[in-house]
Amino acid sequence: MFNKSDNESVQNRNWNVLVYMTAVFVLFVILLFRLYSLQHTHYDENFQRSENNRLRRVELVAERGFIYDRNGEILVRNRPSYQIALQALNLPRKKAGRDSVFNALLHIVDKDGKRMFDSLSLDTAFQRTRWIKNRSIRILEDASPEQVSIIEEHSEKLPGVVTLIESRRAYPYGTLASHVLGYTSEISEEQLKLPEYENYSQGDRIGQKGLEQFYDQEFRGTNGVKVVEVNASGREISQVKGVDSKAPIPGLHLVSTIDLKLQKVAEEAIPDTARGALVAIDPRNGEILAMVSSPRLDPNIFSLKKRERNKGWAQVALDSLRPLTNRAISGTYPPASVFKLVTAGAGLEYGVLSEFKHYPKSCTGGFQYGARYQKCWGSHGNLNVVNAIRLSCDVFFYQAGLDIDMTRINEFGRRFGLGEKPLGVDIPGEKAGWLPDSVSFNLRNKRLGWRWARGLILNLSIGQGQIVTPLQQAVLVGSLATNKGVYRPHFMKELRDSEGNVVRKYEPEIVRSGKMKESTHRILMAAMDSVVNHPGGTGKRGRVPDIRVGAKTGSGEWKKGEKTHAWYAAVAPLDNPEIAVAVIMEAAGGGGAVSGPIARKVLMAYFGKEDKK
Amino acid sequence: MSSGRFLDKSLKVDWFFLFLTLCLMVCGVLLVYSATNNEKVVFYETFWFRQIIYFVCGSAIAAGIVFLRLDWLKRMVVPMYVAALILLVVVLFFAGDVVKGAGRWIDLGIFKLQPSEFAKIAYLLTISYWLSRHPVSLFKLKSFVVPMLLFIVPFALVLKQPDLSTALVFIAVTYVGFFFAGLTLTDMFLLASPLLSVLFSHSQTTMFQVLWGLLICAVVFSLVRRRLPKILTVLFLVVNIFAGYASSMAWNMLQPHQQKRVNTFLDPMSDPLGDGYQVLQSLTAIGSGGLKGKGFGHGTQTNLAFLPEEHTDFIFSVLGEQFGFMGCAVILVLYFLFLWRATSTCKLFSDPFITLITMGASTIFLFHILVNIAMTIGLMPVTGLPLPFLSYGGSFALTCMVLVGAILCMRFQGHRQ
Repeated sequence: MFNKSDNESVQNRNWNVLVYMTAVFVLFVILLFRLYSLQHTHYDENFQRSENNRLRRVELVAERGFIYDRNGEILVRNRPSYQIALQALNLPRKKAGRDSVFNALLHIVDKDGKRMFDSLSLDTAFQRTRWIKNRSIRILEDASPEQVSIIEEHSEKLPGVVTLIESRRAYPYGTLASHVLGYTSEISEEQLKLPEYENYSQGDRIGQKGLEQFYDQEFRGTNGVKVVEVNASGREISQVKGVDSKAPIPGLHLVSTIDLKLQKVAEEAIPDTARGALVAIDPRNGEILAMVSSPRLDPNIFSLKKRERNKGWAQVALDSLRPLTNRAISGTYPPASVFKLVTAGAGLEYGVLSEFKHYPKSCTGGFQYGARYQKCWGSHGNLNVVNAIRLSCDVFFYQAGLDIDMTRINEFGRRFGLGEKPLGVDIPGEKAGWLPDSVSFNLRNKRLGWRWARGLILNLSIGQGQIVTPLQQAVLVGSLATNKGVYRPHFMKELRDSEGNVVRKYEPEIVRSGKMKESTHRILMAAMDSVVNHPGGTGKRGRVPDIRVGAKTGSGEWKKGEKTHAWYAAVAPLDNPEIAVAVIMEAAGGGGAVSGPIARKVLMAYFGKEDKK
Repeated sequence: MSSGRFLDKSLKVDWFFLFLTLCLMVCGVLLVYSATNNEKVVFYETFWFRQIIYFVCGSAIAAGIVFLRLDWLKRMVVPMYVAALILLVVVLFFAGDVVKGAGRWIDLGIFKLQPSEFAKIAYLLTISYWLSRHPVSLFKLKSFVVPMLLFIVPFALVLKQPDLSTALVFIAVTYVGFFFAGLTLTDMFLLASPLLSVLFSHSQTTMFQVLWGLLICAVVFSLVRRRLPKILTVLFLVVNIFAGYASSMAWNMLQPHQQKRVNTFLDPMSDPLGDGYQVLQSLTAIGSGGLKGKGFGHGTQTNLAFLPEEHTDFIFSVLGEQFGFMGCAVILVLYFLFLWRATSTCKLFSDPFITLITMGASTIFLFHILVNIAMTIGLMPVTGLPLPFLSYGGSFALTCMVLVGAILCMRFQGHRQ
């Protein structure tokens, strides 16, 4: 077979074949080594990864807890909300397939012939599917049932487009108590960075403002999880039983202290165009029965789809009347003549004033102090403390204030909830007040170069210059009337789980001593009574038939030439106080005339009285 | 090698080789079955059944090829080569069903012809015929002119499709062809050295720079020993040094999708749901098989369709997951024996044409096996080369069977001469 001349080349060729097969052998051994390292050395991690690949955890979002009023009426509940979303894993892999889904979506019109999706946001969503594979990407938020049915009709042309049901907040009474309830929205980037939101993740809907924010943890419940076996397209094949499966625990329901009936009356009493606030509180335990801040906002807008939400948001955020502020706790005002109760109380407590003490200078329309002439709003003649409160005479209190001194007055005020320490109400945003004395005044106005002068006592003793919130004002009159301590004002009455069992009950808590001498209390009560029920009393418009209402009016000066802030702080019944109401109407005029009738409506409703007309 | 009757050199048919081929085909059908059996279709539309049909057709063609006489084959060279070029031009300019973004097919109604597959066979025949009559030598540079021309035309046309991996098959065939047509081992090293230069200097770590230094030393040593013509000596040195520095330039010349492939090859985790998805899933599938595998039909990755293209390019992952290291090793041993029997064929004869055909055919198999397996275990970028006998695919199954037929033919016809 072989020629002799070929012998050498044949040997050489055979040698080359051997070299070739040796090279093959070496390369195969390298492959085997790599396979061994993958399948033996790194077996565990690869096996784990393959298990994770097969099993997927699906989070089951817990139902958010409801908010009830004190009689069990629903104030906040949930509604189903449909979201149209893209699921990256179910979309066609090929570009042509994706494009056809894109075009199909773009050409879908609703019954008015308008396009349901705009190409820009759709394009963004499709871009995002390239890197977000495990979550669905929303393309239409809060779709109407009609829109959902249109999508379902086209579902054959739309692989990877799904309809998800989410639960969103619904506020059946719209603007009612909107500042107290708050609203929910998607967690913001800034909030995600804060330590208190560390177990939240992006896309979570969380409570913002009001009770929704303060009790968010309680409302949220615990999300459940189920483990499902899926294929690579992300389709569930079956639920894996026993493994780690956890049903969601619905959030707790909050029974609030709000009285829906009273709240409604209060809301109706204050027109939405006006700026003002109202707080009704039970001074015996601090339960807030009603709280209004006007202008209001409708928290439902935050549950709407993005475009409408932004429109609504722009409206409230840019409004010069600032409807987002809860004036009842964040509004800071001068206490005005309501503060005369504190001045008088301090005078009586420290023995400077007494029931029969008259000052030498009677009210002739003003008071000369050094070079300054301080006016009174009328000429009241020579008065004792009760009548001075009844007529709200400034001249009496100028002289009393100078006698008592600010430190004592402020001490008495702080006993009853005024001052720099917030009362600790259970909704966020509560502002503190301020009771200035020589030290804190100088400290605060250092930058302006203002120095404390004794003449300032004249202003401060009639309540011009301090800062209080309407809540503090209500707490003040309430605790003055009870003389049993200041209870922390709160909205939470109890928390119940989804079966209705009470999980937590609010324990009333005394936050200020709120006590004074019995004689002081008696005289102050007589004075508050006279404001409403005696002839010439400034608060006569707040009178309620058959109920002994005590009150104090105030007209806070805040800007020259503008109408005064109208204060009215009432408590009833005086011998056994059940409710204290503070009303402020910004720049509305005299307290007795403007705010008195508003407080009266609330009190009438509370005591179940009707005006006979 | 006269250990058994079926290894007897005097036999006209290598029965052991045929048996190995059959084993590989059976493995292939089983794997395709296990990779795709979750799709509920009638049996004659399933992948595994179609694969059987392809193998049966291929076997028939191979059986026909066995009876082609060598001088007939040699006469077929020019028409085959010209036909291959025409088909490549046609697919490049006229036809082209776009599959995976590259037009590589001509639709003939009953089946889709892949001209590059046909070109592989035609080129193997052509280059073997030419080199068998005109040995090459580095001392006679003229001897390279015609082989290079024969090589460059189909290579460029395939590269233009673009089908880089198939184009690389042409390089491999040519390279091995030169080895069996007169070049020495040293020459082979010198020819491969620029490529090694690129590989070693691509990464700027100390170890690779040292390696590159050693490589240059080896090149210089080889050049001195071989005493090549001066011009060649200088050329090899310059090319090596240039290749070392030009790898970054070459990098910029790569197409974006090729750059991306290299990038995700280097770090598949960088884009686990995008480009690295296939590699990562493949690694997971193979690694989770362990030593013994999860058992036939129990592969979670494949049966839950996590693995992309598991019945074609990534069939080896299916094997690795279901049969583990044992299964992989068995298949590799089968391949090794297959290549051994194939290359042994040429040892029986002195005819360089037979040598070149068998070695070239073996090289085509070897290159596909190495590149495909290295790809599935993350040692090489993802290319579209299928695994001989195991991957599903009509065109490639036919190519494989034609090559098997060619090897058998060499032995059968060699004995007739």
